[in-house]
Amino acid sequence: MNGTWYYVFTLVFFLFDYFILAMGLNIQYGETGILNFAYIGFVAIGAYVTGVMSLPNSAGTGQYYILGLSLPFPVNLLVGGLTASAFAVVVALIALRRLRTDYLAMVLISLSLVLYDVCNNYVPLFNGADGLYNVPEPFAGVLHLNTNSFIPFFAGVTGVIALLMWWVMSRVTRSPAGRTFRAIRDDDVVAAALGKDVFRQQLKSMIIGSFYAGIGGGLIMQFSGSFNPTAWLPGETFVVFAVILVGGVGNNIGLLVGALVVETLLVHLPAFLPAIPGHPGLIEYMDAAVIGILLMAMLWFRPQGLVSERVHKAASMGARERLNTGATLTLDEEAAALAHATGKPEA
Amino acid sequence: MKSPATIGSSGGGAFGEAALRCEGVTKAFQGVHAVNGAGFDVPRGQVTALIGPNGAGKTTLVNILSGFMTCDRGREFIGATEVTNWPSHRIARMGLMRTFQLSRELGGLTVLENLLVAAKDQAGEVLWNIFLRPGMVRRQERDNIERALDLLETYGLYRLRDARASELSGGQKKLLEISRAVMAQPNILLLDEPMAGVNPALIDRIGGYILDLKRDGVTVLMVEHNLNVVERICDHVIVLAEGRTLAEGRLSGLRENEQVVKAYLGEVIDAGTVR
Ligand SMILES: Nc1ncnc2c1ncn2[C@@H]1O[C@H](COP(=O)(O)OP(=O)(O)OP(=O)(O)O)[C@@H](O)[C@H]1O
Ligand SMILES: [Mg+2]
Repeated sequence: MNGTWYYVFTLVFFLFDYFILAMGLNIQYGETGILNFAYIGFVAIGAYVTGVMSLPNSAGTGQYYILGLSLPFPVNLLVGGLTASAFAVVVALIALRRLRTDYLAMVLISLSLVLYDVCNNYVPLFNGADGLYNVPEPFAGVLHLNTNSFIPFFAGVTGVIALLMWWVMSRVTRSPAGRTFRAIRDDDVVAAALGKDVFRQQLKSMIIGSFYAGIGGGLIMQFSGSFNPTAWLPGETFVVFAVILVGGVGNNIGLLVGALVVETLLVHLPAFLPAIPGHPGLIEYMDAAVIGILLMAMLWFRPQGLVSERVHKAASMGARERLNTGATLTLDEEAAALAHATGKPEA
Repeated sequence: MKSPATIGSSGGGAFGEAALRCEGVTKAFQGVHAVNGAGFDVPRGQVTALIGPNGAGKTTLVNILSGFMTCDRGREFIGATEVTNWPSHRIARMGLMRTFQLSRELGGLTVLENLLVAAKDQAGEVLWNIFLRPGMVRRQERDNIERALDLLETYGLYRLRDARASELSGGQKKLLEISRAVMAQPNILLLDEPMAGVNPALIDRIGGYILDLKRDGVTVLMVEHNLNVVERICDHVIVLAEGRTLAEGRLSGLRENEQVVKAYLGEVIDAGTVR
């Protein structure tokens, strides 16, 4: 396989992986209104845990890390996702119950920084700044793939997982549960007045979203075989936010479009472009600026994103059109008619 | 219930007769006593008005009774169950629904969805039901959609079913608030100025809806400044002034009560209404 295909499948992998990450952040922020500025932290937990589940015991590997259970793929990946969810429960119990949106956002961003410092500096956990490497390739013993064939293969595996997770997520967002999430996003006071346990629902949304974060992180770990703190600087959270804001909050297909535009075209493609003569690395450094400008332009000109949120119409929910609706007058017509009939403008 | 106006009533009547009851409710904001020992019974199956001058503490009291604020002192009962300082969603599940003085719609949801959210005990809110019992979820959803559309027809909002709630006019939002609360099949409905800022014909219509609800056995407590409306649709009136229950009874009786007239009716008796 030649180099071009290697690049193409790397892009395909990141497209699907960021689609998964975007779905997770979207259910938290886009559907439920939780401004999770620590999102990349949950991605990292998924990645690290997937790694240490798959690596052998650390003795003699030259790395320091906990566990090292030699679990096969996808068991290690699932444990990574579930650990991210478990972490979400802890965070929610501490922060979500008491804090309003804006304060919660600040607490979460601090949490993200603390988590980063711990992983970066506390070596026995996930090998500190060096991070984990030499993580066993999935199915290595069964398929005997070489480096070249592994990349397209794993991009395909990620595509299948993304499709499955998209199916699950659309079922959830279209269900009454998804509607209740959106009610909380629009006005949590009204939701509570209607008998919804807002904290419980937000907790649910955090758990689901963090599972997606963890799986997305675990797949990155398996794709590259290594993962270290440079891969998840706290600012990375905003790349995922850019994906969902550009693509369209609250729309799963929009998220795929967002992942294509932001992650594939802006973040990863430039790395494969030839360097501008005399300015090595300039293109990569332009990424952040371009994403920032794009984000501002989107919020200004098309705040709903490239693909608007689905409007759940009555007919699409299977309701028959009613022809004989009795009160078919518009409110104003009816009001006028009533005022005329009673002849008295109410004092 | 034709009891004459009683001054400083502590809210008599046996348990069971009152759908909702509060005693000595007190709430201070940084030393300002918004509610200061209010206590009354809301008789079951009737329409009760909560009136009083601006700033009397009516909204604060509604917020406390519906669990959106905790009170500093006092007790609240729904039927025989004490619910003092319960969180709002638990109070809602006891069958007490409230609307807001300034309409609060779920703006990103359609009108129909606003009602559907309110449906009680939805199987589809439990995640594993979505995957393990899809048939049950779908059946229940279909029933809820039919009932919601019925309500939208009744409230004249059927044509707007697919509009985003944020696009409605002020009066339409008021109707949406009430129909959404009704969708939850409440036993007790607290309405905070359901007719404020709507056109006169709509006032009549909303009054009609409230009487329909009463006929269906719903207990209604409504904050209302328009005394013509109170006269026409309310069986019982509670007067709140400076956070205290000043008097209760029928409006006709209260008109003859000197204290009430001084505190509230005096300023409106000629105009017939205050805004
Ligand atoms: N959150 C709050 N913080 C501080 N003071 C408050 C708060 N809410 C209400 N108040 C004060 O409590 C008093 C009662 O207010 P409330 O809104 O309950 O009156 P109201 O009877 O509903 O009046 P209106 O007829 O104008 O709606 C007012 O003096 C108000 O300024
Ligand atoms: Mg008020």
